[in-house]
This record gives sequence, structure tokens and C-alpha cells, in this order.
Amino acid sequence: MKAAGNLVAGTIESLGATAIHLSREVGGITLLLGRVLRCLVPPSMDGRELVRNMYRMGNRSLPIVALTAFFVGGIMVIQAGMYVKQFNAAGLVGWGAGYSIFREIGPVLIALMFSGRVGSNNTAELGTMTVTEQLDGLRALAIDPIRYLIVPRVVAMVVMLVVLTVLGILVAIVGGALFSSLLLDLEYSTFYYSLVDNLDWTDFLHGIVKSAVFGMSISLTSCYFGVSVRGGAIGVGRAVNAAVVAAAVSIMLLDFFLTYLLP
Amino acid sequence: MSPPLPSLGLRRRVERVGAAVLDGMDAGFELARTFGATVRGVFRSQRPPGEVLAQMYVIGNKSLLFVAVTLGFIGMVMVYQSCLQLNRITGDLSQVGPEFLKLLIQEFGPSITALMLATRVGAGIAAEIGSMKVTEQVDALRMSGVTPIDYLITPRFIASVIMTGVMTVFAVLIAFAAGGLTAASSFGVNANTFFDPGRVRVFDIALGAIKTLSYGMAIPVISGFCGLRARGSSEGVGAATTAAVIGSSLAVIVLNFIISGTGLLLLGDGR
Repeated sequence: MKAAGNLVAGTIESLGATAIHLSREVGGITLLLGRVLRCLVPPSMDGRELVRNMYRMGNRSLPIVALTAFFVGGIMVIQAGMYVKQFNAAGLVGWGAGYSIFREIGPVLIALMFSGRVGSNNTAELGTMTVTEQLDGLRALAIDPIRYLIVPRVVAMVVMLVVLTVLGILVAIVGGALFSSLLLDLEYSTFYYSLVDNLDWTDFLHGIVKSAVFGMSISLTSCYFGVSVRGGAIGVGRAVNAAVVAAAVSIMLLDFFLTYLLP
Repeated sequence: MSPPLPSLGLRRRVERVGAAVLDGMDAGFELARTFGATVRGVFRSQRPPGEVLAQMYVIGNKSLLFVAVTLGFIGMVMVYQSCLQLNRITGDLSQVGPEFLKLLIQEFGPSITALMLATRVGAGIAAEIGSMKVTEQVDALRMSGVTPIDYLITPRFIASVIMTGVMTVFAVLIAFAAGGLTAASSFGVNANTFFDPGRVRVFDIALGAIKTLSYGMAIPVISGFCGLRARGSSEGVGAATTAAVIGSSLAVIVLNFIISGTGLLLLGDGR
């Protein structure tokens, strides 16, 4: 009887601890968003830092994003191909692959890869700066760490994720066309017209708007977990882990709400 | 007259490409060796007692909420998008449920669960082993005559193979239920029409199982390998964690492509 009581108390305790923990993190991220927005109106940030971050985060991620997108295009065509063999509907491959790449799989998977590469890198970097007290050093020199370190990173990540998503979607479509010709013996023109006739700009823009929001959430979570690191090298590892998990959850949640809200 | 030498800039560029290729091949061979050593470690018992269970708890139970939330929302989104598109073209929503279940079992259930686990478990393994590496605990293990791979990666490997399977089954159920709720509430699809497993073939289940098994094997080996390669201090741990997440996610996508492609080629016409 007592053991059962302890179990119930333990469960309630851990639930409460999780809830408090979660509220603290969501609150911290929201406060960070507020501070970043205040620095953006009127825009005042370190221009050189912005360009450096855009190059590091965007240009250097292009190979991994392009590789992912190429294979994702292939996977989508393979999935559509299973239906083609079943129902003999070759005219629908371009539509099926294009629709899922434009609206869902393209933006979500590219954001997940971006979060894995850029977001976790960013958390590790800011975390290392925090544990070696470089942020306090900046403050001692009267430089605002938010304005100098975080705002350029947030802007760079949002801009670069949108750019990478546009490029990635194009690569995925090219990959899809290539594999539909290799694996399904489909003419490129069949693929092209099936895509163009059934989809329009709203499908493409749907994905692009999503990627901008994903960029915002990835940048804020990775910066937040970076600057709130405690406890040396182990703390940095733990913060990176927490940041990628939080980014993945926020991508899925936002994807759900945006799907309902956007046309 | 001697032939003109290529300019120094060109030579340096070629050198850089060559160095990158050599580094990549080295890493590839070492990864293959790590995989071999891990599998061999399964049949030797050099791992600490109870470690597999402890890792199963970390990989499985602690990821439960994460997988449930992400897969639940993905299930809702996918059903919503397909109903929207079908309404635009045919208007017949009776096939959405059975086809969704089929797709979930052979493709999205295993792959998206594995991507989520690559993020969470992969980062965790690399951060843990990487911290041990930079604080010289791995060298201490080696000095006391224990193979680090047997001691550190093999228990995580066994635990991950088992728990990836369990999590995938769980994820398919969650996503299917969430999708059914969306179809019923937003499009008025009857629950009996939606929850119909009649379309699932043995082929789909086999494909999903093969995918789950290969993802479960790839994630801990790649992440452990990245952790053991960590250099320096906290920066090195961060870099190892990033490499683990990217490497495992990419492995999931490439394996998915290879296995699905083979499946498509094996699948005969008209079945």
C-alpha cells in the first residue's frame, strides 16, 4: 500500500518537475525572441558578423543539403513508383513526388538536417564561449552579447534556411526526375507535365513560408541552449543534445499548425 | 624544353581535393572496422553487467515522449495534406486510411522514427562517449585492458537494435491513431473505413522490418565512432555531436533510398 503511494507521489513529482522545466525553457526562448526583435527594430547589428555567419551556415551546408535533397527526391519517386506499378498511373508520379516535396518532406527534412548541422554547431560554439566566460568578457567591454552574437546568427539562419530550402527543393525535383527515368522508365516530359499541370505557386510558397518559420525556431532554440550552458565540456554536450531535440519537436509542432493555417 | 608546370593555385586546389578524398576514405574504412568490432563484441562478454538494460532505458523509455509527440503530429499533417489533395482531385477519401497505414509501415514509420532517434540518441551517444574521450576516460579503459568498443559501443548497439524496433511499432500506432482522429474530425471520414489493415501486405511489413533493423544498427555505430574521434575539449565534444547527428541522419536517408529502391525492383508488376 505504501509502495503504491510512493509510486504515485513519484510520478506526480516527476510530472511536475518536467512541467516546470519545460515552462522555464519555453519562457526563456520567448524572452530571447523578444530581445532579438527589439534589436531588429530599427535593425542594428554587427554587419561583418552577419556576413561571416551567413557564409559559414549557408554556403558550407550546401553539400549536405543538396545530397539529402537528391536522395529524398529519389525516395519520393520510389514510393510513388510502387503505386504506379499497382495502378498503372505513370502520369501521377510527378504530381505525387512534387506535392510531397514542395509542401512537407522538402522543408521538414532540410530543416532537420540544417538543425543537425548548423543548429548544433551553433549551440556548441556559443556553449563553449559561455563556459570559457567569453560572454562575460564581452559584457565587461560594454558589448551587448545579444546584439553582437545572437541577432546576426538568428538573421543568418532564417535567411540561409530559406535559400537552402529553395535550392534543396529544386535539387530534389531534379533527383526525382532522374530516378523516375532510371527506375521507372518514365520520360522527363511526363514527369515535368505531371508536376506543372497539377501544382502551382501556392504549393511552393507553402513550403517556403514553413522554412522561414523553422529557421526562426531552430535559431532561437540553438542560441538559447548555447548561452544557458552550465558545467564544462559535459555541459556543452548535454546542451547540444537538448538543442537538437527541442528544435526537432518545434519543427514538427510548427509544421502541424502551419499546415492548418496556410492555404 | 620542360612542359609548363601547373600554376601553384591550381596545384593547391587539387591537393586540397585529394586530401579531402583520402580523409574521407580513411574515415570510411575506420567506420567499417568499428562496425565489425562492434558486431564481434556482441559475441564476447566484455560489457559491464546490466549495461544493456540501462542503455535500453536511456534509448527507449527516455525517447518515448519525444517520439510520441513528433510522430503524432507528423501523422496528423500527412493525413490532412493527403485528404486536402484527394478532395481537390477525386473526392474519394475511403482509401486514405488503408493506404496511409501501408505507407506508414513500409516507409514513414521506420524512417521518421529513425531520424528522430538519430537526433536524440545519436547526439546523446556522441556527447557521452566524446566527453569520456576528452577527459581521457577512454584511455584509462584501454590501459586496464578493456576494448573501448566492446565496453562502450556494443551495449548501445544491442540496446538500439531492440529499442528502435519497439519505438517503430509504437510510432506507427501513434501516427495511425492521430491520423485517424484528423480524418474523422476535419474530413468526416468514418473510423471503421479509416482503421482498416486490409491493404497491408507481407512485403510492406518485411520492408519496414529490414529498414528498422538497419537504422537501429547504423545509428549507434556512427555516433559512437564520432564520439571516439573527439579531440580537444568542449569544442571537440560539440563537433563530435554535430558529426554524429549529421552522419546518422544521412545514413538513415541513404539506407532508406537503397532499401526502398531494392524493394521496388524486387516487387513484380501488377501486385
